[in-house]
Order: sequence, then structure tokens, then C-alpha cells
Amino acid sequence: MKKIFAVALGILTAIGGFVDIGDLVTNAVVGSRFGMSLTWVVLLGIVGICVYADMSGRVAAVSGRATFEIIRERLGPRAGLANLTASFLINLLTLTAEIGGIALALQLAAGVGPGMWIPVALFGVWIVVWRTKFSIMENVTGLVGLCLIVFAVALFLLNPDWGTLGTQASQPWTQITGNPLSYWYFAVALFGAAMTPYEVFFFSSGGVEEGWTRKDLGTERANVFIGFPLGGMLSLAIAACAAVVLLPKAIEVTSLSQIVLPVAQAGGKLALAFVIVGILAATFGAALETTLSSGYTLAQFFGWSWGKFRKPAQAARFHLSMIICLLIGGGILATGVDPVAVTEVSVVFSAVALPLTYFPILVVANDPEYMGDEVNGRMRNGLAVFFLAVIMVAALAAIPLMIITGMGS
Amino acid sequence: MKRATRPQRPLEWYRDPDGRGFDARLELLDRQMLDPDDVPISTVDDVELAGVEIGSAVDHDQPPTVVALLVGAAVLPRIFGGHMPRSRWDRIEWRHVLRADSVIHINTAADDMDATWLERWIRDRVIAPIPGGRHAPE
Repeated sequence: MKKIFAVALGILTAIGGFVDIGDLVTNAVVGSRFGMSLTWVVLLGIVGICVYADMSGRVAAVSGRATFEIIRERLGPRAGLANLTASFLINLLTLTAEIGGIALALQLAAGVGPGMWIPVALFGVWIVVWRTKFSIMENVTGLVGLCLIVFAVALFLLNPDWGTLGTQASQPWTQITGNPLSYWYFAVALFGAAMTPYEVFFFSSGGVEEGWTRKDLGTERANVFIGFPLGGMLSLAIAACAAVVLLPKAIEVTSLSQIVLPVAQAGGKLALAFVIVGILAATFGAALETTLSSGYTLAQFFGWSWGKFRKPAQAARFHLSMIICLLIGGGILATGVDPVAVTEVSVVFSAVALPLTYFPILVVANDPEYMGDEVNGRMRNGLAVFFLAVIMVAALAAIPLMIITGMGS
Repeated sequence: MKRATRPQRPLEWYRDPDGRGFDARLELLDRQMLDPDDVPISTVDDVELAGVEIGSAVDHDQPPTVVALLVGAAVLPRIFGGHMPRSRWDRIEWRHVLRADSVIHINTAADDMDATWLERWIRDRVIAPIPGGRHAPE
């Protein structure tokens, strides 16, 4: 019974924790411009993140080693440092976007801001990183994040023409208006949002934090293969809401208030309250995950003591580096830059950084020295190599597409 | 420098039949070091060798030995090239090494080593004075 409860809790938190500010913004932007015609990218991204999150979770559970220790060991200090620098900077950009997302959600609730909410968001994230146990942090943000199911509820309340949505999804070429390269630019951005690299660092480091062993592999698989796809359905619901309400009126998504507009229209104030709480939980949870990920990557690369299961004084450099990262993120937002714009940039650069994280994991998942008899089978390797190829194409195409299309405009 | 074009010894010699040698580059450098309580100490940033001069040939009858693992700033020359003066080396003597598998096990507590001074400095000056710094998360 206890076991079933633990598995169910894991699945629920995986659903509620799947969506972050990148998914919210990108799905709404795409829905309002291209309808459901990029559904295939979301589905592809979900399968990809499942394959690689499962692999990194298995490496953590079997070998007890987290991603960046292994990246350095395999790539050596020079290529390892180049990888660390790129991954770390992109994670910092994502962290900045998430903090901005918290501030925007608070602005939506309170009617003032967002500037004044940035210090509040920074302090909130820091105090949780400093004082709260890992499992409580994950469960609370994940469960409250389930409020985002209101997007799916709103979609039904809007009573859309399901046939049209289905046609958009199954015949994407009918939806491409204007510059077709913009379509591909948003395809890459959506792929980057779905497969954000920090989720992999975080998932594997979280496995070490929670002391996973081989016995927990079943729970890990349930979280990944049930929780992530259901969380991905939320992404699609966000896009569908935008496709139903915003696309016909040609409303362009530039702020959080437009993302929640369909929900408010469908369900009134009550639904709006749920969606604000959901966005707050999702961005807060993702801000915690990216903050911890910045500490994890640095600590694992340099071999420092790390982890929330230790007292802060026993992981001093880990905690100091996270404080510095939060201050840098707050500093970027203090310049008055639009958090939605930061988010749009961060998902594209995430797509660029994907191969850096995913390739070393694939190599180690095949190494019997770490994995014993839990090395990848043929099926897993086949899928992983296929996704690595997709990831490489997306990573190489991202920057040229961004320049040619002027960020999709 | 003249490169060997073919193995100079029979293949068995390289295969290390008694399993006592290992490849320092593959199995020592950049590995994580843990103390007896599994607290991470550092990554192995470089190794100090004895019994070999830079530029001179290696005598295979008296092979060079690893006398210490270097941590901290010692990694910089491996990334950017150049040279780190001996006075800046943070050393962990080879006699402290218990076992080497996918991590290197060290027989001394992380806090009792000179090489980990930076962690202690940041703890004592920055992290521990912040309220809650010495309490486990709840």
C-alpha cells in the first residue's frame, strides 16, 4: 500500500512538475500562431525526454553517480569545461526566466509589479533551497502545480471544434502562413522547451539526493513513462487553449495575461485563480530545480561536496554558488528586461545545448563498469541514437533559424 | 622525437596479467575522491609523479610512481596549458588512497586534510554564519 502511494505521489509530482515557464510561453505562442500544427514536436519531445531522463535516472540509481561527474570523467578537463560553461550559462538563463515567471505570476495575482516581486521571488527560492528537505520541496511544488490541469478543463469548457484541432494537428502543412522558416524556428524552440537540459541534470542529481538504488528503478520508470507524458498533455492543452481563443482573433502572445486569457474566458475568476496558483507553483518549482541544477553542475564538475541532504555548512561551495547564481539572475531581471523575452531566448539556446548533456549520458549508460548488467539494451540504444540525431539537427539549426527569422517574427 | 610504430613488447606485457597496474589517465585523472564517510573531497585534478624527468625516456624496469594526487588550481594547466608553481599545489599523498574503483576512496576525513582548505574557508567565513547554515534541511 505504502509502495503504491509512493509511486502515485511520484507520478503526480512528475505531472505537476513537468511544465515550466518555457513550456507555458512557447506552447501559448505556438498555439496562437500555428494552432495545433506543432503537436508532433511536443510528442517527439516527450518521447525524447522520457528516453533520456530514464537513462540518467538509471545511471544515478545503479552507479550512484550524477551526470556532471561522469561528463568530466569521460570528456577530460578541457572539453568538460567547455561543456560545463555552455550548460551552466544556459541553465542560468533558464533560472532567470523562471524567477521572472514567478514575478509575473505574482503580478497577475496582485495587480502590481513585476519589478517589486523579483526580490521576493529570489528570497523565496533561496530560503527553500537553504532550509527545506528535498522530498518536501518536490512534492509540494509538484502537487500544487497540478492546478495547471485547469488548462485542460478550460479547453473542454470552451467547447472547441475538435475536428479543426485534429486537422491542424494531423495536417500541419495547412497551418503554415507567411515565412515557413518561422514554423521551423518555433518547432526547434518547442523541442528545446520540452527537452530542457536542466531536467536531466536535475533528475539524475535528484536520484542521488533521494538515495535511489536498483530497487527504486520501478518507481523511477513509473515517474518517467507515466508522469512525463501526462505532464506533456498539459503542454498540449495550453497550446490548444491558445489555438481556440487567441488564433482566430490574431492575438499575439507577449505576456502572461494573454496565456491565461483563454482560461479566464472559459472558467471565470475561479479558473483564473487556479491557473495563477498553478503557474506560480510551476515556475517556483522550476526555479528551485534550475537553482539546484546550477549548484549540482559546478559541484559535480569540481568534485565539491553537494546535496540538500547535507547541512549547508557541509556543502559550503555548493550553497555559495547557488546564492551567487540567484543574485546574477535577479541582477539580469533588475535591468528591466522582459521575462517573456528571456524565456523565448532560453528555450532556443536550450535546444543548442541539448547534445552536450545527452551524448555523455548515452555513453555512460552503455558502460558496464558503472552499469553492470543494467546497460542499455538494443531497443533503448536504438531510440537514444535516433533522438541524438534529432537533437543534433535541432541544435545545429537553432541559431541560423533564429537569425534568419529574426526570432520568428 | 621518434615514435614507436609497433608494440615494443609482447602483447601480454601490456595486458597486465596480474592486474596490478592501471591506466592513470583513464582511471585516476578526473575521478571523484570520497572520504570514509562518502563525503566528496574533490576531483583528481592532476597527479604528481616521481622517478621520471620531463623529456627523458621512461625506464621500464623502474617505472615512475604516483606520489600524490593534486587538487584545486592544479587543474588549470591541464585546461589552459602553462605551469603551476609547486608552492601552489594542494596535495593528497598517495598513502591516503585506500581503493580505486569508479571513485577513489581516501582513508582520511575530508575536514582533516590541508588540501580542502577552500571549502572550510567558505564554510567558516560565509555559509555557517548565515542563520540555519549549521542545521539540516527540514
